[in-house]
Amino acid sequence: MKSPSAQRRLLAFGVPAVLLLANLPASAADTLYLYNWNNYISEDTVRRFEAHCGCRLNQDYYSDNEEMLAKLEAGAVGYDLLVPTGNAVESLIRRQALRELDKSKLPNLRNVKREFLDAWFDPGNRHSVPYATSVTLIGYNVGKIQELGLPTDTWALIFEPKYLEKLKGRVTVLNSQRELMAAAMKYLGHSVQEHDPARWDEAKRLILRAKPYWAAFSNSTYIKDLAIGTVWVAHGYSNDMFRAQQDAAAAQRPFSIGFATPKEGAVLAVDSLVLHKSGRRPDLAHRFIDFMLAGENAADVSNLIGAGNPNAAATPYILPEIAANPGIFPPPAELKRLEMLRDFDPKLRRTLSRMWTEIKVR
Amino acid sequence: MSAPRTQPAGLTKWAVTLPPTLFLLAFFLVPALIVVVAGFRETGEFGGLAPWPQVSLDAWRFLLGDVIYLEVFARSFLVAALTTLICIVLAYPLAWLIARSPKQRRDVLVLLVILPFASNFLVRIYAWIMLLGPANLLYTPLAVIVGMVYAHLPFMVLPLYTNLEKHDPALLEAAQDLGANAWTRFWRVTFPLSLPGIFSGSALVFIPVLGMFAAPELLGGTGDILIGNLIKEQFLDNRDWPLGSALAIMLTACVLALAGLSAWAAKRGMHGTEAIT
Repeated sequence: MKSPSAQRRLLAFGVPAVLLLANLPASAADTLYLYNWNNYISEDTVRRFEAHCGCRLNQDYYSDNEEMLAKLEAGAVGYDLLVPTGNAVESLIRRQALRELDKSKLPNLRNVKREFLDAWFDPGNRHSVPYATSVTLIGYNVGKIQELGLPTDTWALIFEPKYLEKLKGRVTVLNSQRELMAAAMKYLGHSVQEHDPARWDEAKRLILRAKPYWAAFSNSTYIKDLAIGTVWVAHGYSNDMFRAQQDAAAAQRPFSIGFATPKEGAVLAVDSLVLHKSGRRPDLAHRFIDFMLAGENAADVSNLIGAGNPNAAATPYILPEIAANPGIFPPPAELKRLEMLRDFDPKLRRTLSRMWTEIKVR
Repeated sequence: MSAPRTQPAGLTKWAVTLPPTLFLLAFFLVPALIVVVAGFRETGEFGGLAPWPQVSLDAWRFLLGDVIYLEVFARSFLVAALTTLICIVLAYPLAWLIARSPKQRRDVLVLLVILPFASNFLVRIYAWIMLLGPANLLYTPLAVIVGMVYAHLPFMVLPLYTNLEKHDPALLEAAQDLGANAWTRFWRVTFPLSLPGIFSGSALVFIPVLGMFAAPELLGGTGDILIGNLIKEQFLDNRDWPLGSALAIMLTACVLALAGLSAWAAKRGMHGTEAIT
């Protein structure tokens, strides 16, 4: 005899299975699968591309390179395109997970600014095409900073007690070992690629000295905190600062949000379009890359989320106030002081992680 | 007559229990074993694990040779204990009130207790950010405790309610007849009888709090790191699976030891109540 509970249990098993099947794409024909950052392409651009190629663009999203790498490592297949940051591109190339680009299908590649081509993570751009950039910098409440008479062009603002005394409990820094320690290294005049643990220890001590003045380690809440005025100075990404600036303006706050790259230098992130080996439609993927390299399409990522743009042809289409913002578009002289993060060997990774735990606990 | 009847019953039992057993084997035991194995390996150059065949105690040496990780453990247990204690204090009167209210209203009240689960956990934590921010309490250890207590309170209320609901009112009447005042009636009758509820509620609160990383990350200040954050960091930010696995194994071992201890205590608690009834 079948008990009712057994039936129910079978049902509980069967229903999700059916839903799962229903979720699979009806047909893979002419569909391009893009694994992308949240909010990195506007609906409008997607529709224009679909009309342009007569195909469908299907997107999945990630909010973190590690998340994307972990999912691929765990065996996710079927993505034609990814948008990893420099060190993740290097890692994907070393794991032989990427397909080589066919440059004859990318006539618009000439639009990319020379300084963003031939980067260390992919010499000769055999696998990657730069798409957007961001800088890790300092965002601030313009009114408060002027009132307190503080400088905005130096990391000293978040590391020196003489400034922090006026800002106690009003500063957040990124909850990211690599980013925060890189900022400290830059302030101390070291490279973010330093391999000497003693230098990193110096950075750790600098951070520990400043920590009592900080309100929190924050990776996302600082956008809101800046925009509503509870935090006055935040260490974070230029595109997030752009968003805080927009939010504060939209809410008609009595203050505005500014952001600037410290003169000691900072971390630059370059996100690139790459072809994953498991993708079934490299033809569509090439068409997508070339489409996104056209000036009016490339401009979107700057206008939409305030990302820097490695595309020269995009400049005329970018809103003037965004194009003129040195925090989003670093001037050539400043670009030299920016460094990208590279992966360390496992031993140094563990040493730095140990320092980071100490920073959190002490 | 009875033998042929029990056989299909046995088969049914298998049919019913096999799928969940297989499910647990595939999605609990196997991942747990993977974690154990990962704890004794080395990190690969680009994260993940170094290629076979290679085993190593490096992660354990690193973890145990350093008081800092033990400090994080100690702090996490303190936060979990405090959260559990506050949950007991807050949940007890509530559960008692629900258990003593008219029968037709109880279901509605229980529904109200679990209603917050209808919205996403992160949304509710963000609500606390909005509430605590203006009060200048955001980014403090207190905010972390508030978030933890809020998120786990229903897990304490429900087992307590289930327990208290079953108490026979005649027991209290008898105690009253024997001259016990309100406090004595609670302390000598209700409380000992409710110990199993307190124990299962405590296990349901204490253990998840130990592994929680979202609340300290969103509500906590610069010093509020718990073991959950540490484990998450090793896997998601630092690509150090062996160290993350070693930390996870240590946490699981601690939790199992505690669960065993509380099961033992609950058993003793039951014996105690048997003596009273």
